[in-house]
Amino acid sequence: MKPLWLSLLLIATLGITACSEAPPQVHKAKLFTLGTLVDVSVHHLDKASAQQAVKIIEDELAIINRQWHAWQDGPLMQINQQLAQGKTITIDSSSHHFLQQAQRLAANSDQLFNPTIGSLVEQWGFHSDDRPDAAPPTKKRINAARKQMPSMANITLTATTLTSNNPAVQFDFGAFGKGYAIDRAVEQLKQAGIKDAIVNAGGDLRAIGSKGDRPWRIGVRHPSEAGVIASIETDGDESVFTSGNYERFFDFDGRRYHHIIDPRSGYPANDAISVTVIHNNAATADAAATALFIAGTTQWPQIAKQMGIDEVMLIDNDLTIYMSAKMAQRIQIEIDDAQIKIIDDER
Amino acid sequence: MTRADYYIVLFAALLLPYLYISQWTGDKAGISATIMNGNETTEVSLAHDHTLEIDGALGTSTIKIENGKIRFTASPCLGKQCIHSGWLEHAGEFAACLPNRISVAVLGEAPRFDSINF
Repeated sequence: MKPLWLSLLLIATLGITACSEAPPQVHKAKLFTLGTLVDVSVHHLDKASAQQAVKIIEDELAIINRQWHAWQDGPLMQINQQLAQGKTITIDSSSHHFLQQAQRLAANSDQLFNPTIGSLVEQWGFHSDDRPDAAPPTKKRINAARKQMPSMANITLTATTLTSNNPAVQFDFGAFGKGYAIDRAVEQLKQAGIKDAIVNAGGDLRAIGSKGDRPWRIGVRHPSEAGVIASIETDGDESVFTSGNYERFFDFDGRRYHHIIDPRSGYPANDAISVTVIHNNAATADAAATALFIAGTTQWPQIAKQMGIDEVMLIDNDLTIYMSAKMAQRIQIEIDDAQIKIIDDER
Repeated sequence: MTRADYYIVLFAALLLPYLYISQWTGDKAGISATIMNGNETTEVSLAHDHTLEIDGALGTSTIKIENGKIRFTASPCLGKQCIHSGWLEHAGEFAACLPNRISVAVLGEAPRFDSINF
């Protein structure tokens, strides 16, 4: 009889070898659209089908981009001009759906997600693909814009019309349009029979299905250093969105100013450096990540609850990680010595 | 134990650490990178130090490869966020100069993640 250790050694060798199957085939493509870089991964398809999927995504994202771009000449610019003139605007069913969803999310966020502060965002210089390191707006200008207090509550929607009772309303759907576009693209993919894919637009993504026999693995980038701070395995159909102060910013006189403007103060929100949200709907995740970033370390649990978000990770300026209990159950922290505070959802 | 058994055991013993390292350790340094300019993609090796100058939509971006890492060192954009992204080393890491429509992504044999959220 052969020694027991010999048998164990051979079994261990065979076990490791059996685990090392050839990697499943994932087709990847990158596109410049929506003002960002879109990364598409499609699993389990032949190359022609994958290329068709990429084309579907490209076409759908281009439609949303053209319709709702805040500072390129197009339909939204015309809507903003008409709103400033107090006119009633005729809208189609897709615009109604888009605006209705944005209005509901804004109300649930106590207007912290506020897509009507386009004038303020423009004054900060973020209505540009490439903002230079020039001076921020003066306090006087910010206060003047803030006092007009536009919000989605000023908007009245019918199935075919849009009106505003505040001429200061100027739409900028930067915290919603990308999520909405991803949702539309994913629905088109599903209708085309594609079950396993990731659509990642500038770091925000929706993943459907899986990578063969395992879930998609998502790394969440560290907000202030190289590498990832956490990782998540998606389950079925989920969106992972992060709002961070490192995404768009400019430096002036030794200070950094980022693009997430608190509608209450008129200045960049400064209580968090990043917020990550998981939700099955990308548009909701997009709006919630912005609203919770603005809500900050004390207010985010309440706003998350109102918005129906139960998986949240907020990182503050000291790199303390705040998490909802449900997020803590599934996220893997990838750094050493992390300071973590788990917030009870039911408090 | 016969001589043949001895060789099998020796082979298995040598194979185990190799298989463990090659199959179970992740987050490897990248071995090459793709540079996307508009819709054209080029693959470059990270094995040799060199500097690339690439003409994009706005002007010329400079990309440096050094010690197995890659980064933007100059770009005609105003915000310079591509340069702020710093060195990229691990499979899956990437940086982009959106105004110049140039991006860099590190490739590798076994990236730990299928996609990066930020």
